[in-house]
Amino acid sequence: MRSARFPLLLAVALASGRVRDHARRLAPAIVAALALVAVSSTPATAYAPVGVVHTERVKAGPYTVTVGFSEWPLRAMESLDFTFAPADGLAGKSGRLTLDGPGIDADDRETPLSRHPRKRDVWGLDVQALPEPGAWSLTFDIDGRAGHGRGTLPNVTVLDQPGPPLAISWTVCAIPLVGMLAYLAVGWRRNKPSERVAALV
Amino acid sequence: MRKAFPVSTALPVTGGRAAQSSLAVKVSRNGRTGPIAASTVLAGTTMSLFGISWDIQWHVDVGPDTFFTLSHLMLYSGSAVAGIASLAMVLIATAAQRAGQSVDRFPGGKPVRVLGGVFRAPLGYLITGTGAALFLLFGLLDLWWHSLYGFDAVLDSPPHIGLFLSISFSMVGSVIVFAAARDTRWGRAGVILSIPVLIVFSPITTKAFGALPLPVDPDLVGTVLFATLLLILGTLTIGRRSTALTIAATLGVLQLILWWFSPWAARVYADATGLPLRDNLGDDPPELPSGIPVFMLIAAAAITALLWLSRKRGWSGRVAPQIMGAGGGAVVGLSLPIQSALFGDSGPTSAELLKMTATGAVTGVLAGYLAARLAVLLREHATASVTKGR
Repeated sequence: MRSARFPLLLAVALASGRVRDHARRLAPAIVAALALVAVSSTPATAYAPVGVVHTERVKAGPYTVTVGFSEWPLRAMESLDFTFAPADGLAGKSGRLTLDGPGIDADDRETPLSRHPRKRDVWGLDVQALPEPGAWSLTFDIDGRAGHGRGTLPNVTVLDQPGPPLAISWTVCAIPLVGMLAYLAVGWRRNKPSERVAALV
Repeated sequence: MRKAFPVSTALPVTGGRAAQSSLAVKVSRNGRTGPIAASTVLAGTTMSLFGISWDIQWHVDVGPDTFFTLSHLMLYSGSAVAGIASLAMVLIATAAQRAGQSVDRFPGGKPVRVLGGVFRAPLGYLITGTGAALFLLFGLLDLWWHSLYGFDAVLDSPPHIGLFLSISFSMVGSVIVFAAARDTRWGRAGVILSIPVLIVFSPITTKAFGALPLPVDPDLVGTVLFATLLLILGTLTIGRRSTALTIAATLGVLQLILWWFSPWAARVYADATGLPLRDNLGDDPPELPSGIPVFMLIAAAAITALLWLSRKRGWSGRVAPQIMGAGGGAVVGLSLPIQSALFGDSGPTSAELLKMTATGAVTGVLAGYLAARLAVLLREHATASVTKGR
């Protein structure tokens, strides 16, 4: 056993000496590479601006609101940004937004109009997903110096979700759970815990 | 952990004499290896829990998202820490066994042959490590999902549920690791700390059923099931009557810490990155901590009283855990709508209270049944001879 280990240890010792020499030479290059990665990845960590690719106009009494969409056409379950820009700015105005469409959660239906977190000069919704395809509507109730106004953007078409059918995605993601349950079932059958549970309490 | 790396040079070494000098053998015989590795895994799973709570609160209070927010990094790091510690323990166990050391009493649960005997993995570390490895795979799937759908619009997307399952596996592994050392003080303390972490985290996965037209919110059923099951499991595994109350008290402390931490971390991080808080935030309680059952001490008292009664009357272990589950589950079920009303929702009707109590009792029976049998499996193996007295 010792004779088999000696060459191995010798090789490890020699190799570790060489590795140290290489490491000394490589260290500046590694530091430079890491710095480059850090610098180049900085833009990827920045928060993306709100891109508006399509707009619609809604008349809410005395107010005109421009509704901006970050994607068009809209698809179910996508992460969407909406912007709501009154013609003469947000100053002195408040209001509520009512979203209506298939599958909407009751808690999400009505919300106060709030500034978009990444575009503070307009109201908006960020990372908002519309759960199901179909006809959706956005209703604005706005209060301001010109009084109260209500207007609806009807029949906003939401297409089917992108990507593979949900059943496939759920099946793939359930594989580990099924595997773990199968593993537990095998352990259960081998150890038969029900036979020994009587003396447990 | 550093000591684990030279293990690879010891892998080819076999035979009893070599066992005397193998580093892996020394590490495996060291009484500190078990508690250090188990604590590292628990630190990792706790990081995951705090990361998810922070991230959810970030979405509620602030909003903007990337793959590399600090809360995401905390979530990823938790799985990495738990996974690396588990991998190290599997490699040490494998190397020790190859060096001629018996690993039957190696910390972390019953040693399992993996890949036809290439590795010897203590069960707890095998499950924790598998969870961490799956987290990596689902992380890649999640990245692909975001390329199709955009960032984190919903919590219950298929890859997110896969990620939550993976973290839950790591947390289950952590409970197994500590349960194997239940004859030591650190083992029992670990069971009492690791179970509340799993009670808080495991119901998140039941959000996968949220879109189904079910008569009861699956999230609430999941909360009752996991909270009751894990309370009884901990009690029967350790075998002490006070365990349920201790676990419930620990859960309460964890809830208080998360209640403070999640909004604090979201706001400090928003300040640091120059992002504003959302308009119209109101005074809603923190999202994840307010979903943790707050009346668990009462449920634990019910379970403890029913355990005492079962022992006094000599009820069989075939029936008693289900009775404990029904009592504990009914209390948790009844408490959830009351808790929601306390935190700002509308007050529950008596019909709703009755429905949730009945749902809790039925779910509790199932929880008690499973908990007793899982406790039998956990009690199969103990590593006391290696770690006793620590």
